[in-house]
Amino acid sequence: MMVENLIWGYVYPNEVEIQWSVLIVLYPYITGLVAGAFIASSLYHVFGKKEIKPVARFALLTALSFLLVATMPLLTHLGHPERGIEIMFTPHLTSAMSGFGYIYSFYLIVVVLEIWLSFREDIVKTALGSQGWKKLLYSGLALFSYDVSEKALHEDEKLAKKLAIIGIPSAAFLHGYVGFIFGGIKANPWWSTPLMPLIFLMSAIVSGIALLILLYIASMKLRKHAIDHKCLHSLAHYLWIFLILDVTLELLEIVSMKYASLEDIEIINRLLSEKIAFTFYGVQLTLGIFIPFILLLLVGIMKNRETLKMIMISVSSIFVVIGVFAMRWNVVIGGQEISKSLSGTLTYVPVFFSQEGVLPAIIILVIPFVILVVVTRILPPWKDMEEEVPESKTKSTIKHLY
Amino acid sequence: MQPHLKRVIFLLGVVIVGFIFIRSMVVPASYGQYGAYRADSVNELRNFTVEYAGSKSCGDENCHKTLYSIWADSRHKTVNCETCHGPSGNHVNNVRVMPSPANDSREFCGKCHFERVARPSSFPQIDPESHGENLKCAYCHNPHKPWFV
Repeated sequence: MMVENLIWGYVYPNEVEIQWSVLIVLYPYITGLVAGAFIASSLYHVFGKKEIKPVARFALLTALSFLLVATMPLLTHLGHPERGIEIMFTPHLTSAMSGFGYIYSFYLIVVVLEIWLSFREDIVKTALGSQGWKKLLYSGLALFSYDVSEKALHEDEKLAKKLAIIGIPSAAFLHGYVGFIFGGIKANPWWSTPLMPLIFLMSAIVSGIALLILLYIASMKLRKHAIDHKCLHSLAHYLWIFLILDVTLELLEIVSMKYASLEDIEIINRLLSEKIAFTFYGVQLTLGIFIPFILLLLVGIMKNRETLKMIMISVSSIFVVIGVFAMRWNVVIGGQEISKSLSGTLTYVPVFFSQEGVLPAIIILVIPFVILVVVTRILPPWKDMEEEVPESKTKSTIKHLY
Repeated sequence: MQPHLKRVIFLLGVVIVGFIFIRSMVVPASYGQYGAYRADSVNELRNFTVEYAGSKSCGDENCHKTLYSIWADSRHKTVNCETCHGPSGNHVNNVRVMPSPANDSREFCGKCHFERVARPSSFPQIDPESHGENLKCAYCHNPHKPWFV
């Protein structure tokens, strides 16, 4: 395609090629799913929301699976992945990115420890009850310490709770920081706002809970086990609450930008009305927030009709997950589609087969699901998810929830 | 403290010490001496041999005086001799050492003269698809005095 068709107005020569591609869209997206899944699990671990218990450990495994690939889009984008570690070896305060390595590592340790503590009893029991390589694997995972006495487990629980308490701010920090990287770029009016970390954090929580709902429903369907509606409705309830916070912040940013009408408003208006109109108003706001908001509201009001409610929750979650991806797209790509001259726009054309292309992005997005399958084979979380819930109790609690 | 927790803390300690150890091995010794970069690189850069002699050296000593005066008066006067002819340090020191031939490919001229929307419209630029039938630019244009066809 001719370059002339991709630009409008006055742009600088070095802006014509958009450098942060779909991979950089994926990076905050995956990081967000991690933070969201972890916060969903801490609703049980820290805040003692018993109804979340069936998915609490599963949420941790989901967080880990996505956390392990969170750096992958960046390293692929970097071209020289072996240089990535240098931000940790020689960090500098003027580089927001160099903090990421440390925050990421700290958070990874917290998540791994949290998982280890909550699965330790199962690990030890499997180690003691198996033979050969399996025994070796699980003994290794148990660190060759097999104490699962009541006292030991109680201490584990106490430590797990403390870790979850540390984990929440780290999860918030990890994702808020991704927003900070964009928010701190003062030359770009579409990014430069102190609200950015909070917007990223809220949309992260929203996407993480939605993903958890989808994975929970999918895994229960695959395992042919009944869904714990009490848990599902509780997750849907939290999704709804965080959705409200998310939309408030996102609209606050736009409204204050429009109201203040600084010198950059003309280019922002052009961006919103031409460049990202469909992905912003259509996908991010309508599909990703407005429709799920209405559907989840109806789920809260409706009585009985569990199957319909489940479908509504699933549809909302799918829309939310797509909507949050669109939000990342609108931030990352949208921000680069306006020229630093503030008098021109550019266009990002995704390529399929290339290092920066859609194909590596799809592969990277699939990897966490493969990891999740492997991890759930090693540490099955199904025990909590498949506990039978008395029918009458479920109904009364659902009623109480809304 | 429970023994399994002691083992975790020990393992964590091993990871942290391992990181510090690898860092000490990988980060160059002179890093941070002057700032957030490898101080030795300053000396390494200083010790590079100078390969370029500058356009003036071509016009000195009566070597390429005529061509030099034509170029110095042309619209290409801001494009130095060595931009197209390559580094001439060795040639200036010893005339028997010939510099490599000038780069006269279409792509090379096109770096400045192929149409780009970001260039001012007054700047001479062509559409490589339709202009010049894929001939070398110097076939028609004298690079030492552009527009002198």
